[in-house]
Amino acid sequence: MINLVIDTCNSNLVIALIKNKKILSIFNEQLNMDLSTKIFPVMQDVFAKAKISPNDVDSILVANGPGSFTGIRIGVTIAKTYALVLNKKITTFSSLELMATTKTNKKYIVPIIDARREYVYAGIYDEKLNKIMNDCYININDLLEQLKNKSYIFVSYDDFDKLETINPELNILKIINLHENDKGLNPHEVNPTYLKLTEAEMKYKNND
Amino acid sequence: MKDVYVLAFESSCDETSVSIIKNGYEEIATVVLSQMDIHASYGGVVPEIASRNHVENITIVIEEVLNKSTLTMNDIDLIAVTYGPGLIGSLLVGLQAAKTLAFIYNKPLVPVHHIAGHIYANNLFKPMRFPLIALVVSGGHTELVYMKEDYSFKKIGGTLDDAVGEAYDKVARVMGLKYPGGPLVDVLAHEGKDLYTLPLPLDDYSYNFSFSGLKSAVINLVHNEKQRGKEIDNKNLACSFQTRVVDILTKKTLKALKEYNVDNLIVAGGVAANKGLREKLEKLCEQNNINLSIPPVRYCTDNAAMIGAAGYYAYKLGKTSDLDINAKSNDELV
Repeated sequence: MINLVIDTCNSNLVIALIKNKKILSIFNEQLNMDLSTKIFPVMQDVFAKAKISPNDVDSILVANGPGSFTGIRIGVTIAKTYALVLNKKITTFSSLELMATTKTNKKYIVPIIDARREYVYAGIYDEKLNKIMNDCYININDLLEQLKNKSYIFVSYDDFDKLETINPELNILKIINLHENDKGLNPHEVNPTYLKLTEAEMKYKNND
Repeated sequence: MKDVYVLAFESSCDETSVSIIKNGYEEIATVVLSQMDIHASYGGVVPEIASRNHVENITIVIEEVLNKSTLTMNDIDLIAVTYGPGLIGSLLVGLQAAKTLAFIYNKPLVPVHHIAGHIYANNLFKPMRFPLIALVVSGGHTELVYMKEDYSFKKIGGTLDDAVGEAYDKVARVMGLKYPGGPLVDVLAHEGKDLYTLPLPLDDYSYNFSFSGLKSAVINLVHNEKQRGKEIDNKNLACSFQTRVVDILTKKTLKALKEYNVDNLIVAGGVAANKGLREKLEKLCEQNNINLSIPPVRYCTDNAAMIGAAGYYAYKLGKTSDLDINAKSNDELV
């Protein structure tokens, strides 16, 4: 069983090939601005190192958000096109969930991505990756309110003036374990979860 | 010679399209998913919404074109894709899908300039004859291009401000027509008379165009008449506007044909569907013994068939690319 894992939503690009719960090869580095040019050279490299050809992959797991809109679209487009033409199983996971695989000694892990203007994309997870609060687009103060009297830690690639965070230490295998029995999706229905309407849509809604 | 099949992608604005073209001129199958209805409620294309819709549509279009063609990916010789110019977020979706196929099947990737695509739309309709002058007119472009031979482009003029299709849509808006109103202006123009006084756009020795002055003149005229409590006759206004536009487009095009000593003219882009422009060009070309080629309307608007046609000739000249090529929102045709 060979899994291809793709996460293009965050400041680290993650491309990994896993065979029977063993990582064959992985890229997990920051290259945010150059994603659209570098992702295929990275893929070629990851496949070459694993000595795997694209058709050997059995299943694709793609992070479909939240995070950079352009980033999400790049990963999702690649994954759904790949799954369609080679008829591979495809499932999705949350980019926040992957960050929540970071090992900590707190009860709750709170992965956050800066969404600007005092807002973040955030979820609240426990160590088994159960969702205590669903991923959402939320004001930082409202999030702090939710976390009152809880034992938690923020995990993020981004820097925040107000918040103390630790860097993510990803555990890809935890994502595989969690999602390996998910039902495969129709590639046409694999789409981004932005958690946020476009400005044009919000204005249009408010005028109604 | 072995047949060459191109699988082509186009997603530079609000149409998601994939096509299979044989030998640069024969259309095997094309699918176009337009988002026009979605953007109409916003009065114009919203880039982020366009990008979002491209992602949702891309695999639907790929699957449909393969089903329509009865070919499989193994029959495809190369992947062609619009890399620019256009909306960056939209371009990226088509480009990533194209790269994915090039990666998986180890096929050559051929990046195509959107305007080269519009020009080569003519080849799907009848063989292009060189040397030629191409007049490219659309919502994003107004360009005169000289081509000595296949895939050699020399831009001799372009718009200094609004593209001609953009000016049409803006004039349509001030006339109270629903987006995209350009084609409606063309319809109204045919029912009206040229009775309004409007300035002729930039009429100099260059091959450049400027339509913002004319557009502003129309907007001012509408506002002034409204202030005076006078009704605007949309038909006559459309006719006056269109007459000025068509006059300058045809005048400079004819000048280019003479100066470059060329007797082949092709017209491309969405505004090539404009009846007023077609009629005047047909008349002038007949008078001056010019071979005129204007593709059918479905090849004038954005589609991947034209990218497949251009991609074939680019491929023959070895213009393939590595998978690290980026989308470019602005890029000159060379």
